[in-house]
Amino acid sequence: MPYRVLLVAGAAVLALLAGAALAENNPSPWDERTIGEQTRQADYSGRLSDEELKALIERGEHLFTAKFTTMDGVGRPMATQAIIPTKRKRPVPQAFQRLPGMDSNACSSCHNDPIVGGAGDFVTNVFVSEGFTNADFDSTDPQFSNERNTNHVLGAGLIELLAREMTADLQAQRTEALVRARSTGEPQTVRLTTKGVEFGKITAEPDGIVDLSGIDGVDTDLVIRPFSQKGVIGSLRQFTVNALNHHHGIQAVERFGPRWTGQDDFDEDGIAAEMGAGDVSALVAWQASRPPPTQITPDQTQWQRMSERGSTIFEDIGCSDCHRPALPLNSLEFADPGPVDGAGTLRQTEIADGAVYDLALLDWAETLPRDESGAVLVPLFGDLKRHKIADQQVSALGNELLGQRFVDRDVFMTGELWGIASTDPYGHRGDLTTLDEVIRVHGGAGRAARDRYIALGDDDREALIAFLKTLVITP
Amino acid sequence: MKNSPLFAALLALCPAAATAAEPAMDIPVLAEQAREAGIAHVYGGPWEYFVGGGAASFDCNGDRYPDLMLAGGTGQTRLFVNRSARAAALKFEARDLDLAESDLRNVTGLYPIDFDNDGYRDVVLLRVGRNILLKGGEDCSFTNANREFAFDGGRAWTTAFAATFEGDAPYPTLAFGNYVDRSAPGSPWGTCHDNMLHRPQPGERLSYAEPNALSPGFCALSMIFTDWNRSGTPSLRVTNDRHYYRDGEEQLWRIDPGKLPRLYRRSDGWKRINIWGMGIAEGDIDADGFPEYALTSMGDTKLQTLDEEAEEGRPAYRDIAYERGATAHRPYTGDDLRPSTGWHSEFADFNNDGLLDLYIAKGNVEEMPDFAAFDPDNLLLGQHDGTFFEAGHLSGINLDRRGRGAVIADFDLDGHLDLLVVNREAPVSLFRNRGGKTGWGTRPMGNWLQIELRQSGANRNAVGATILVKSGNETRLRKIQAGGGHASGHAGFIHVGTGVAERAQIRIQWPDGEWSPAYRVFANNFVVIERGSSEARYWYP
Repeated sequence: MPYRVLLVAGAAVLALLAGAALAENNPSPWDERTIGEQTRQADYSGRLSDEELKALIERGEHLFTAKFTTMDGVGRPMATQAIIPTKRKRPVPQAFQRLPGMDSNACSSCHNDPIVGGAGDFVTNVFVSEGFTNADFDSTDPQFSNERNTNHVLGAGLIELLAREMTADLQAQRTEALVRARSTGEPQTVRLTTKGVEFGKITAEPDGIVDLSGIDGVDTDLVIRPFSQKGVIGSLRQFTVNALNHHHGIQAVERFGPRWTGQDDFDEDGIAAEMGAGDVSALVAWQASRPPPTQITPDQTQWQRMSERGSTIFEDIGCSDCHRPALPLNSLEFADPGPVDGAGTLRQTEIADGAVYDLALLDWAETLPRDESGAVLVPLFGDLKRHKIADQQVSALGNELLGQRFVDRDVFMTGELWGIASTDPYGHRGDLTTLDEVIRVHGGAGRAARDRYIALGDDDREALIAFLKTLVITP
Repeated sequence: MKNSPLFAALLALCPAAATAAEPAMDIPVLAEQAREAGIAHVYGGPWEYFVGGGAASFDCNGDRYPDLMLAGGTGQTRLFVNRSARAAALKFEARDLDLAESDLRNVTGLYPIDFDNDGYRDVVLLRVGRNILLKGGEDCSFTNANREFAFDGGRAWTTAFAATFEGDAPYPTLAFGNYVDRSAPGSPWGTCHDNMLHRPQPGERLSYAEPNALSPGFCALSMIFTDWNRSGTPSLRVTNDRHYYRDGEEQLWRIDPGKLPRLYRRSDGWKRINIWGMGIAEGDIDADGFPEYALTSMGDTKLQTLDEEAEEGRPAYRDIAYERGATAHRPYTGDDLRPSTGWHSEFADFNNDGLLDLYIAKGNVEEMPDFAAFDPDNLLLGQHDGTFFEAGHLSGINLDRRGRGAVIADFDLDGHLDLLVVNREAPVSLFRNRGGKTGWGTRPMGNWLQIELRQSGANRNAVGATILVKSGNETRLRKIQAGGGHASGHAGFIHVGTGVAERAQIRIQWPDGEWSPAYRVFANNFVVIERGSSEARYWYP
């Protein structure tokens, strides 16, 4: 090709691409992309001001509600839903498929009841599988997955902050036991307790080995993973990266990018670098800043009276043993990236200057009660601990086919009850339409309280329901 | 820089720039800190010490931090006890060895192994002259145990070693590779010593009273027991220096328990190959159970894989070094285009991305004019497409020193593998792995596991065991071995990078072939697995 022709062709290509770049920065009203210009992670570092935090949250809301398109990177023809980047053996005939995903267009497609960020009814169930335990996991056979109802993310920032503090407590107890064992030359057994919740015991040997066989309700690394019904996701950031891939085929660079996969376009959908760290941060900031559900005081006198009585019954019959009305939180400063994630989810030490979202800047923070030490009392009605929830006689909640990430099939994280009145249906599969039904299927660790509930008179059972109906998500 | 179509187009129009770009993987920053860490040591001596230059890394005082014993050639062998704290600056303390002065000199290499099953790591000293079994004791004490174990150290110039526990033998079989027989007529050309196989004699007490010669010897510089065919019975692979042998070649000895060793021959499928064999590394790059081997030489490194087109069960190997970008045949930086001289080689995952990397120590034999004078060590980082990327100069290991033996171990127990290199007539290099290189410093790399196996009775450290680490669809395989490299070995935690996997299931195939249950562990932990236990335990520094 003559040199001049080559020059002209090159200039034309550059002009076209420059036009494309301009269009990206200034999208047309009819542009079918939804992500648009990506958020620069470096623009949000250190302790964010009120203005910066709100801007990031606004961007996060845009992304949470965006119906992603193929132009954004929707589609993963050559990648599975697995959290570890995993190639498919062959492209699937249908891009959207309810079992292995992709299964939704926007985050808010499922998290929308009663408001964006809320839960979803049975129709929003997702199919959870590791996606990689079998090379042909794109099978539509339901035996390879567990069906789960959509959780809400209201108050999720508070939940993650609680989990981080609890993790730090438990790991400090382990360190202390090791120091004592080494200094005394004797094994040291310690009971693991944080925020009043017990997690079993460990024994530290003088040589530094720790016997983990006595731990209860937490992973062996003593990291509280507060998210998902199973309690296997450690942070909103990890959840976000997992979910973007699973549900939308949008692959975050921090896990699916060339650093970990050697490829710019791991899912081979023709779009590289689909979601950068800045936009993942925006999604995290939005979720972390969601106001927590509240407890209403009913206008109706009878409901008020019944709910007060129900609250007492809730305590008396032992519901609150696991569904703890509140856990104390010392700090509202939400560091993003967080302190407990592993490689593949952006870590604090991976970037020069991470961000801190001060949740105290948000209006709802002032409404949270505090204890005498100044700690925020997070009214989650949970304990961030996993329990066995089925037994021989009452086994309905042990209905899953597969364990997940080392957690047995009948073990689940205590469901936080805040917002429970606004997030029916119930149960991890969303197949129980009333509160009465879901209480009656508590087996295992919930069996005693469930039996006491059944033994109550009709009025007392109704009072308990009346109490639970005050735990709402307010628009 | 934000990815944009414009940027991509500019890159596409500049292919040279695109090709030269560093891959996006983590490049580990390896900072040399030997002097600051308290290790000042030189390996040297005349012709006999042009080869050798070994290091042994093992825990000699029960704190699980890897300590070091370094060969000195005509200088003294020295012990350095690790005084580092976790993830802090490396710190070693020189400790006198209470041994005869003559035992500590003329040492070419060292390998750690618990040969008497007492729970203390012992050390095998390879020497120019009588080899020595050093029996380890409490708090880094050692005694010469040649007499106690009826071990005849011989008078050869020993440069290679490997050990295995054969069948149900309570004690290990020791193989010694010897170099030139200097007393033979015509020496040094064509006068290679036989190698020796010391099998423990029947009886309750350990005795190596009746060794077998492995003849012919072709001037071995490295050897390793390897289960190349997944038979459960390791064979002895020997790499030999063609500089001195006549009609020699690389060797693979079939070592069946209770039988005399037998060489694999052409009729068995063994292919003749002649190289200046200096070091062997075994690594199962694709975790198929059939290991690959990196053989260092003068000029190109060989990377061998079992030829899938060969008849099953035949040791026919194919060289894949070129297609994988692992020939490492000349210096990758500087102006010297003469061929390289490779010594120690070892597979390890320096950046914890889950892919095996290949380290090669490099250095001119002495002043060989046809070979590169400035010959920096290689750090070939494994890539997802199966090829290797040279990162020696980017990581900081490209020093102008003549490398020989080396140890790759996590000296500060921070999860990142560090590197010690013994250099000829120059100070040892101790590289601390500071993490992945960034524009502003370093960052943590991938997730990792470090695994220790224990069993009671014989072979307490499970030499010969296979460790499978499975995360998702990915399986990573490691073997516990004693031998290989160049005159250097290590014992202790087995390191496995797991990339972005935060959990893994570990299965062990113990040396007798029995499989363990699957142990579920979380990444970024030190895991101790006791044979017969139903759960793994964590250890904390």
